[in-house]
Amino acid sequence: MAPVIEARALTKMYGDTIAVDHVTLSVEKGALFGLLGPNGSGKTTMIKVLTGQTRQSAGSATVLGIDVEHDPIGVREHVGIIPEQETPPSFLTATEYLDFVGAIRKIPDVQKKADGWFDLLEFDDQRDVLCKDLSRGTRQKLMFTQAFLHRPSLALIDEPLINFDPIMQRKVKDFLIGYVKEGNTIFISTHILDIAEEICSEFAILNRGTLLFTGTVAELKARDQHLDDFFLSLVRADRHV
Amino acid sequence: MFELFTNMMREEWRVHSTLFGSLSFALYPVMIFVIAFMGSFVLPFFAAGIPPGYPSIIIHAIFLLLGIMVGGFGLMGREVMNRRFGQASLLAYSARSLPITERHIFVVFVIKDTVYYLILCVLPFVFGFTVASPFLHIPLALPLLLFLTLTLAFLTGLALIFFLSTVYARSKHVFILLCICGILAGTTLYLSHSLTPVSLFPPLQLFYLFSWETLLVACAVILIPSVIAAMLFTTEFADTTRKYKPLFTSLARRLSFFPYPPLATKDLLDLERSGSFVGQVLFSFLIPLCLLWFLLSILTRILPAVSILLVFSILTGVIAAMMYTWLTMLDTFNTYSCLPISVPTLLSGKISSFTALQLIPAIFIAIVSIAAGGLAYLVPALVICLSVSFYTLGVTCWLTGLSPNVLIYDAKVLVSWFVLVVIALFAIIVLIVINPFYTLASSALFLPAWGFVKLSYAKWNTREQPGF
Repeated sequence: MAPVIEARALTKMYGDTIAVDHVTLSVEKGALFGLLGPNGSGKTTMIKVLTGQTRQSAGSATVLGIDVEHDPIGVREHVGIIPEQETPPSFLTATEYLDFVGAIRKIPDVQKKADGWFDLLEFDDQRDVLCKDLSRGTRQKLMFTQAFLHRPSLALIDEPLINFDPIMQRKVKDFLIGYVKEGNTIFISTHILDIAEEICSEFAILNRGTLLFTGTVAELKARDQHLDDFFLSLVRADRHV
Repeated sequence: MFELFTNMMREEWRVHSTLFGSLSFALYPVMIFVIAFMGSFVLPFFAAGIPPGYPSIIIHAIFLLLGIMVGGFGLMGREVMNRRFGQASLLAYSARSLPITERHIFVVFVIKDTVYYLILCVLPFVFGFTVASPFLHIPLALPLLLFLTLTLAFLTGLALIFFLSTVYARSKHVFILLCICGILAGTTLYLSHSLTPVSLFPPLQLFYLFSWETLLVACAVILIPSVIAAMLFTTEFADTTRKYKPLFTSLARRLSFFPYPPLATKDLLDLERSGSFVGQVLFSFLIPLCLLWFLLSILTRILPAVSILLVFSILTGVIAAMMYTWLTMLDTFNTYSCLPISVPTLLSGKISSFTALQLIPAIFIAIVSIAAGGLAYLVPALVICLSVSFYTLGVTCWLTGLSPNVLIYDAKVLVSWFVLVVIALFAIIVLIVINPFYTLASSALFLPAWGFVKLSYAKWNTREQPGF
């Protein structure tokens, strides 16, 4: 079976700065894949390239079999995306933003679907508040909802739990694990290693735009290694290089 | 305070120069200088056909307008602090982390913006005129005086709008009352004493006849409203998290005749709920145009009323094209980046919302035509206004995409915009001179407008979208 995400020598440059440097990786269907790396390692850029939000400088990538360079809209049509910075439109209410997303994505019965999310993520009392007046946590809940409203078979999430309290973090982790069990794929990027160790099945470590490692959490556990120790040793060694 | 000011100046420069490159942004005042320098050589030709003093009225009017465009600080309030600066972490937002009050920061911000635009626009203009003056045998004292009076004209416009917009943000009722009082007082003075615009506008009075008393009056006209506005200004709005009944779906259904109903609905709700619609119509459209009409009306002594009406339609068209910036300033591309919408679709959506907004200039020109007794020229006036507006929109879309408010400060972009728009305006003015009805041919501008829009789709679809 073809991988859900396949990147071949993917490179992204901003002027003279290399944000992503010849990254080759593949993510299989049904994985909860974690892209790990320190701040500024290129994780967000990687998600932006994979979702067609920015064009690669070299290399190629396919997502759900769609070439991200030639059909970025096609990619965004099929996947769910949660960006690192939550930016719902300021002057629409939470309900209206989901109506807007539903209209763009042509989702039938959008309000019915949204109701379930308002309940699950516990922000029903904020549904008629303008997005600009929502707290960061509530905005993140809203962005979560918009990404899963059309039940995508693949979701790419940049720092999935960063604005959530511990109770909501637990809820979201359970949701993500359950979503993958249904046969879907989740690709998250994070620098919080505990999350990755707890929920990810596979992971890759990125540092200074270069891919240092790809493997599974199970392999690490078999070697009786903790992810944070492994991560730190790899990144430190790379810095010395 | 001075340290905050210098750091804000440095910050403002870096914001612009990092967007376009230092050289490209530094060329902006150079370009203003070149325009003023070359424009000075055209003055003798004007002098042959226009009575002395009229070009100075026009130049002062331009700087008054510039001040008006810059001065809407009062309208910004919380939006500036939260939206414009909130995500960029600029100094203007440092009241949260530093022991400085928001009012203190705001006053420094206003002074910084004033000085910044003086350096960016007024100074290069006067310098261009000064350098040209020896070639035109103009005594050096004149450019120096012009520097003073243009600065005052710019500051008068800025102070006036700063004051009015602050009052408007505080209380719409007081604002309306103030406007009615102002109009009544102006009309009474005008009718009873036959006052001219010169006598109502101290900087111009000062240009014609310098006196310390007039200078004092001119300064008072700037300082008094500015101080009152600074005192009235607040970022402390009642923290009410207002709830709204969901309108999106029903409104989108009603706007189904638009090419992209969800985008049009969002634009409409953005404009209405942000308060931008009324504010922009007042401060960026009606007030500048009323002032322009007032200043142009004095040309009726030398030009036929029909020509004035049609020239006014051209200017209305250019200002109406700025409505595109109303639609693009309330969101960034980031809002749409996780959805399956292409840049051409977004541009197209903004253009359809813009088209709906063109009802405002159309109604405005119709009212002005009837009020000015030019009903016979209503159709040419409308055609000129709308064709200029759409042509300017096309040029703006092509050059600046979804970020006109920011990218227009790139010198290369501004020069291209200026050249392309001026060529079209010049062609229409020639038609007005030959025969006012020939201006119906200006409808041909819709063709290049369409071409520029198509080019903009191709251009911006392949470009990295800036996050502003």
